[in-house]
Amino acid sequence: MTLVIAVSAMTMTAQDNTGKGNTTSWNIRLSAGLNLGGTAPLPLPREIRAIEGYSPGMNLSMECSAERSIKESPWGIRWGIRIETKGMSAKARTKNYHMEAWNTDGTGKVQGAWTGKVKTAVSNTYLTLPVVAVYNINSRWNVSAGAYVSWLLKGKFTGAAYDGYIRDQDPTGEKADVICAQYDFSNSLRRFNWGLQAGGEYRVREHIALFANLQWGMNGIFPSDFGCVTFEIYPIYGTLGVTRLF
Amino acid sequence: MVRKNIFNALLLVALATFASCIREEAPNAECDILGIDEGWLELNRDIITGTPVIGNHSVDITVKEGTDCTSLEPLFILTPGAHITKDSISDNGPSGITQYYTTYAEDGIWRKKYTVSFTIQALINASQVFSFENFEVESSGRYNVWFEVDGYGTRRNIWASGNAGYAFLGIGKSPMDFPTATDHAGVKGNCIRLTTKDTGSYGNLFNMPIAAGNIFIGEFHSASAMGKPLKATRFGLQLVPGKPLYLKGYYKYSSGDVFTDKHKNEIPGRTDECAIYSVLYEVDPANFEKLDGSNITTSERIVMMAEIENPGTPGAWTEFRIPFKAMNGKDFDPHRLATKGYAITIVASSSKDGASFEGAVGSTLYIDELAIEWETEELK
Repeated sequence: MTLVIAVSAMTMTAQDNTGKGNTTSWNIRLSAGLNLGGTAPLPLPREIRAIEGYSPGMNLSMECSAERSIKESPWGIRWGIRIETKGMSAKARTKNYHMEAWNTDGTGKVQGAWTGKVKTAVSNTYLTLPVVAVYNINSRWNVSAGAYVSWLLKGKFTGAAYDGYIRDQDPTGEKADVICAQYDFSNSLRRFNWGLQAGGEYRVREHIALFANLQWGMNGIFPSDFGCVTFEIYPIYGTLGVTRLF
Repeated sequence: MVRKNIFNALLLVALATFASCIREEAPNAECDILGIDEGWLELNRDIITGTPVIGNHSVDITVKEGTDCTSLEPLFILTPGAHITKDSISDNGPSGITQYYTTYAEDGIWRKKYTVSFTIQALINASQVFSFENFEVESSGRYNVWFEVDGYGTRRNIWASGNAGYAFLGIGKSPMDFPTATDHAGVKGNCIRLTTKDTGSYGNLFNMPIAAGNIFIGEFHSASAMGKPLKATRFGLQLVPGKPLYLKGYYKYSSGDVFTDKHKNEIPGRTDECAIYSVLYEVDPANFEKLDGSNITTSERIVMMAEIENPGTPGAWTEFRIPFKAMNGKDFDPHRLATKGYAITIVASSSKDGASFEGAVGSTLYIDELAIEWETEELK
């Protein structure tokens, strides 16, 4: 990671070279986009019966990157630094969803089967450092793939279980109706995330390109020993945006 | 414009991805007896009194005296996809029969044992003392339940507590961890120990920061425990043999150090108090609706009530004998008694205002050898 930061810093001071035909150049790029996706368990557990609502939220992504092309080759490498938000809210209906949740004071664990509705709102702002390999298909199109590391600057993970019932321990246990139970796990989010990224870019003007990326989180947003959410939840987001090429 | 279209396109893709992730519905994992077929109940209306009480492992049906229960084959309403088998029957002679069933869930994994009892209604025996010697660990193995046993060995599930509600929190792992527990140091044999407990962060989540220990004649409706806790404690059964005169028994009590309100804020200067009382109230025999936590001391249906006033904090076993007083200007009516128009409950709690989640964690009430003295000429 230190290496990535060092390299990114170096590229900031690199010479700006606008000659797009020059294959050994450094190119500085500024991108703005919108993140759209889900922070969700994968695969969706069978107990999730329906997604009843989804709202992508307004997730901005601002990136500054530097690209180094390899001489007389379609290949290049791109380092970036970006500030981005990955968020969404979703409503789901579950049936006999096995849940376990520790009391925050550690005195006990609510454990049972939940049938009812769940709504979750996530909004996490990250400082992200991507490194991708770039392949230039032609003068207009390029595709890229690589990895990123993210540091959570500000996180929100809240929600509620409502309109349903919980059965104590398992589907044969005592049944209790739940009107609404709210939760807020914002303070338990993992700071460090990493994942894989792939995308494509289309140059519409000399200095303007449109791009689409997919970012696939490889570690869950909660620490693996976090008892309140017992399955891994991954951020999987697509970014759509515009790049200004210098 | 292009960007907006692409944005919309991506939104569609995202939604489609989500939708396609929904996997085939799993077969039902539940296997409940949800109810008893209305038609069957109607056919047997002349022998059944009251409404069947359906628990998570039991169905209690009260039948009239002299009913031949051996041929009763109730028609159950089950969780969709579940099926049921009758395993055995035990004939309890003059007090009724008990049928044992197993229900199987559609998924073939989960199953559950049910005890279905047809019981000839037996009133509280005039000389009956409630000593709390009959108890067992319920099926999940974590907490105790108490019952009475009649002269024929038939179990009478007349006692209820909030333990099933506390169980949801996962804090209690063995019977002694629960607000309502057995203690071996009774006046005679065992007694009941009621303790006001902290409910942890999940209790707070449901605005129930404490759980007072309670025991009462009636039914605990755990389905209401989280959403409408006052509706979970359903007090009273139609077991009245006559006019009650005195509520008596033994108790000792210590109050917890810090009294808190329903938001768990300390109320300085306030001391916790226990509650021990009995209420006799009017019921419509054709449609028995129990009083609950919201109205057990305030309902206009209350006819008589006996309550320890200023119970204090006696550290040693203290005997009490308190008179029933007429309430709401009502007189006890033997004719109403003859038509099962009364229900009675005895209630004990380690925090008097525990129902509204006010009390002091650590308050502990011990009770034993409870009894009601009845006016003898009312007895047949």
